[in-house]
Amino acid sequence: MAPLLQLSGLQKRFGEVRIADGLDLELEQGAAVGIVGPNGAGKTSLFGLISGDLRPDGGDVRLDGRAVNRLDAASRCRLGLGRTYQVPRPFEGLTVFENVLLAAQQGAGTRGRESHAVALSSLDRTRLSPDANRPAGSLGLLARKRLELARALATRPRLLLLDEVAGGLTDPEVRELVEIVRAANAEGMTVLWIEHVVRALVATVSRLVCLAGGTFVADGPPQEVLESDAVRAIYLGSTVAVAT
Amino acid sequence: MPAGTLAAPPAPTAPAATGGWLVRRGSRLPAWLLAVLALGCLAVLAALPALVSQADTQLLVNFFVLLVMSVMWNLLAGYAGMVSIGQQAFIGLGAYGVLVLAMNGVPTIASIPLAALVAAVISLPVSLVVFRLRGGYFAIATWVVSDTAMLVISSVSAIGGGTGHAVPGLASLSPRAFGRVTYYAAFVVVVLAVGGAYALLRSRLGLVLAAVRDDEIGARSAGARVLRARRVVFVVAALGCGAAGALLAVSQLQVQATAVFSVQWSAEMIFVTLIGGIGTMEGPILGTIVFYLLQQNLANEGAWYLIIFGTLAVAIAIWAPKGIWGTLERRLGLSLFPLTHRVGPVAGTSRPPRSPGRPTPHVERGPGAGARSGP
Ligand SMILES: Nc1ncnc2c1ncn2[C@@H]1O[C@H](COP(=O)(O)OP(=O)(O)OP(=O)(O)O)[C@@H](O)[C@H]1O
Ligand SMILES: [Mg+2]
Repeated sequence: MAPLLQLSGLQKRFGEVRIADGLDLELEQGAAVGIVGPNGAGKTSLFGLISGDLRPDGGDVRLDGRAVNRLDAASRCRLGLGRTYQVPRPFEGLTVFENVLLAAQQGAGTRGRESHAVALSSLDRTRLSPDANRPAGSLGLLARKRLELARALATRPRLLLLDEVAGGLTDPEVRELVEIVRAANAEGMTVLWIEHVVRALVATVSRLVCLAGGTFVADGPPQEVLESDAVRAIYLGSTVAVAT
Repeated sequence: MPAGTLAAPPAPTAPAATGGWLVRRGSRLPAWLLAVLALGCLAVLAALPALVSQADTQLLVNFFVLLVMSVMWNLLAGYAGMVSIGQQAFIGLGAYGVLVLAMNGVPTIASIPLAALVAAVISLPVSLVVFRLRGGYFAIATWVVSDTAMLVISSVSAIGGGTGHAVPGLASLSPRAFGRVTYYAAFVVVVLAVGGAYALLRSRLGLVLAAVRDDEIGARSAGARVLRARRVVFVVAALGCGAAGALLAVSQLQVQATAVFSVQWSAEMIFVTLIGGIGTMEGPILGTIVFYLLQQNLANEGAWYLIIFGTLAVAIAIWAPKGIWGTLERRLGLSLFPLTHRVGPVAGTSRPPRSPGRPTPHVERGPGAGARSGP
């Protein structure tokens, strides 16, 4: 069986900044993989390349064996790719329920009562049900991040891309989030999760990759990757850079 | 519900009920009140020709024509983010459609929907061209398309060239019967335009438009096919403006290219939509009413009439950028054409779930409760 997500030779640069310098990655169906890397390494941009917001300069993105380079973000979503945004993008004039309903109708292709059920179910999973009727514009940052997750879940993705959904959460909230993501993964959803809150990642993923300088400098079981020389050097490097 | 799909919700138990929650569309006004209001309006409008003078009937037809145009422009600019200043292209095509059909023996009234359809069909290839452009360039392109259509049509001498042509067919009717026929034709078109626009906004496509208006990138990544939604709106607006143009041809019994393809139509539909409230269903309706009231009361004031319109437009742009209805709506929190979904408990009657602050960690009953406790 083809891997659910396959990146091969992915290239992207913004001027002098190399975001992806021949990236290769394969995600098996049902995997849960974390991405770490220094600020500005290009993790969010990598999600843009996968989801179709950004066009690569070269290389391929394959979803379930199918090259999706020429497909726009909406088509990729309809093929089963759900994502959250690091900087949330709620539909501020719509209610929380309607935000999620749009995803259920467009991303998951449901209609009528079935779409209501999908939307309500993803609000329930993300504990947003009490806010269903609030305008999304009135939500605080944490609730907006939950809404990102709820919206992505409502597209009923096979591959879920999470971009720093744990940032700023308290310990109990992190545990709750981990539980939500693990439950989704246990049902067969493949997860690719960018996170600086490493304890959330370690509790969820079985594989960790580290992106730096446009390449994956480490790839393996979470503990090994975190203790690897490459990753230590990068995080040490960035600390030194900040200190000076 | 297909088994095995991810996050499959439990089967709904009651009609329109989903796992303990009920989803309704509505505003603060109860649905029966809105229905009574709508039926009341329809009844009054249907009875008007028997109550008012011949001249007023003609005036009402013109009112309906502008109303249809502004409802369409509001769909385009207020909901789909496409500021067109070339809708007169489809007004002209609708008008000439009626002329050509009538000249070929099609009953004049039957030619109205056909002419509107012609305008809609032509708008599809037009969209392929103008959709390549955005913002101001898109606006200019629509105007260019309209002027091109005008130049092409006024070069055809069989339909009157530049001087225009009379519409055959209805001229033999008595003035009274003619007034009635045109009034009811316009009335039907208005009902279809307003009803159709409302139905479109309540549909899944309407939700896509609303989401795109707030965040296009977010909408795309949630699966919304933005281009397709815009194209549907563009074609619907062409259909509506085509019908409006067809009504013009029928009610004036005369079609002349520079008149029907005049950019003045765009100016008027934009003006009434902006003063009424762009991006609301009520706005263009209210704006058209205000426009006609002002016009009737100022018609004798000569140039003052234009000065007052201009001042009003500027004042609204500065102090009430959401227009009259947009401002009212925010104050009063009511809507005559509710689009919002309300989620409430099935058994309960009134209170929708609502929390004062942050989300509470637990919900007693929710739709997903069964999803995780499956076998
Ligand atoms: N559209 C763009 N045009 C130009 N440069 C960009 C664009 N998007 C991102 N960048 C640059 O690319 C680099 C990588 O940004 P990106 O947001 O992908 O990093 P990141 O790894 O997600 O960082 P963080 O951990 O802070 O979220 C940054 O230097 C950023 O300024
Ligand atoms: Mg980032």
